This record gives sequence, C-alpha cells and structure tokens, in this order.
Amino acid sequence: MTTRRDFFKIAGITAAGLMLGAEAILSPVHAKISLEEAIKKHLGVGLSAIKESNEIKVKAPSIAESGANVPIQVSASVPIEKVEALYIFVDKNPNPYIAHVEITPVNGEVFFATRIKMGATSPVRAILKLKDGSYLMAYKEVKVTVGGCG
Amino acid sequence: MASIGRAIVRVPRRVKKGQIFKVQWVIIHPMETGLRKDPKTGKKIPAHYITHVDIYLNGKLVTKIISSPGISKNPYFAIKMKAVESGTLKIVYEDNKGGKWEKSVNISVEG
Repeated sequence: MTTRRDFFKIAGITAAGLMLGAEAILSPVHAKISLEEAIKKHLGVGLSAIKESNEIKVKAPSIAESGANVPIQVSASVPIEKVEALYIFVDKNPNPYIAHVEITPVNGEVFFATRIKMGATSPVRAILKLKDGSYLMAYKEVKVTVGGCG
Repeated sequence: MASIGRAIVRVPRRVKKGQIFKVQWVIIHPMETGLRKDPKTGKKIPAHYITHVDIYLNGKLVTKIISSPGISKNPYFAIKMKAVESGTLKIVYEDNKGGKWEKSVNISVEG
C-alpha cells in the first residue's frame, strides 16, 4: 500500500530526476558568453554604466510555454531625435545578444517588436543608446517552461 | 525549403500625413543557431540565420536591424513609421550563407 508519505517521497525523487535530465539536455557544450561580455562587445561599455529607466517599456509574457518563440515588444517615451539605437539581450541565453536596431526620426517613435528564442527563465533586456552617448535600460523577467535554444 | 527568404509584409492601406503607423513582416527562414543537433544523425546543423534587415522609404534608410540566431524561426518584426510621404517601402534582408532578398510595398499618404 502506498502511504501519503511514500507518495511524496516518490514524487520528489521523480521530480529531481526530471530536473537532472533537463539540466543534462540544456547544459551547453559550447562556450557560453555572459551578459556582461555581450554588452561590452556590442556596446563598448559595462553593464554598470547603464542606468535603469522607466521611460522604456518591455512587453513580454510573464510565462512563456515555449522558449522557441517568445513575443517581445519594446517601446520608449524618449523623443526619437535623441535616440540612436536599441539593443535587445536575454541575460541567460548561451549568447545573450539578440538584436541591434538603428532607428531614425522617420520612425516617429521608439518601437520594435519581434519573437525571440530563450534557453531558460531570464530577464529580457532592452537598452537604448542615446545620441549624447549615454545608455538607458529596462527589463522584464520571462519564465520559460521549455527552453528553445536547442 | 523552396520558399526560404519569402516575406509577407503588412502595412495600413492608407495613412494620414503625420500619423504613426506600424509596419510588420514575417520572413520564411530556418534561423539555425549552429548549436542544434540533427536528431537522426547526431551531427550539428550549421548556422543559417538572417544577419540584417534594412528598411528603406523611397531609397532612404529608415531602420536597420542587425539580427542574430536569437531571433525565432520564421522571424517576425514590427517597427513604427511616421507618415511623411507616399512611396515605396523596401525591405532588404540577407543571411549568413549569402542569401539576399528584398520585398517592396507601396505606402500612400493622404492629406
């Protein structure tokens, strides 16, 4: 007879096994690039030099069922004349760099949407490069149940 | 994948001068990261992804997207534009294997 206690024991072991399995599948065989390195490479500045701003809005689902296809949308209330480019990073992806968008005043306002791959639960980070050389950023945490970086 | 590189673009049929409108498109492309293994052979599938997408209005650059394999398969993009003048909106895109395509749509600005 399975007692309640036994049931939890078995459930616990199974869950741990599943997690180990997932870890083995997701653990990358290639060299990972950290967010810090990726930002340094693409922006030329360190993460600590970028200040957070509530003028940027990152729209993404709080929970993504599939990491292969996560819709994201970035908009900002910063006047378009002041903005040079927009960068998107996913902190915990094997390569955090997603895209770099150079915008012009013809765009009317700061806006960019796409669908991205996410390997694991991670913040999705949007960084604005302003024409005066400064940077602003905002992020949104997205929980991923099944990774999609393959 | 004979249709690779094909794009579907959506823009409003008519826009008023000064109005900000959305331009959306999807490109048929595998967007392989180069990290994925073929489940049958166990060999790595070579990277094959769109490296950049440029958007022009009447020959003038509006937006330049430098893409990466972090963008999903059959990538979707959306940008906004201010209606300044009527004309041809051209989307030019390339991949890391030398594929180069373009797609044009007309924008008619009223008033």
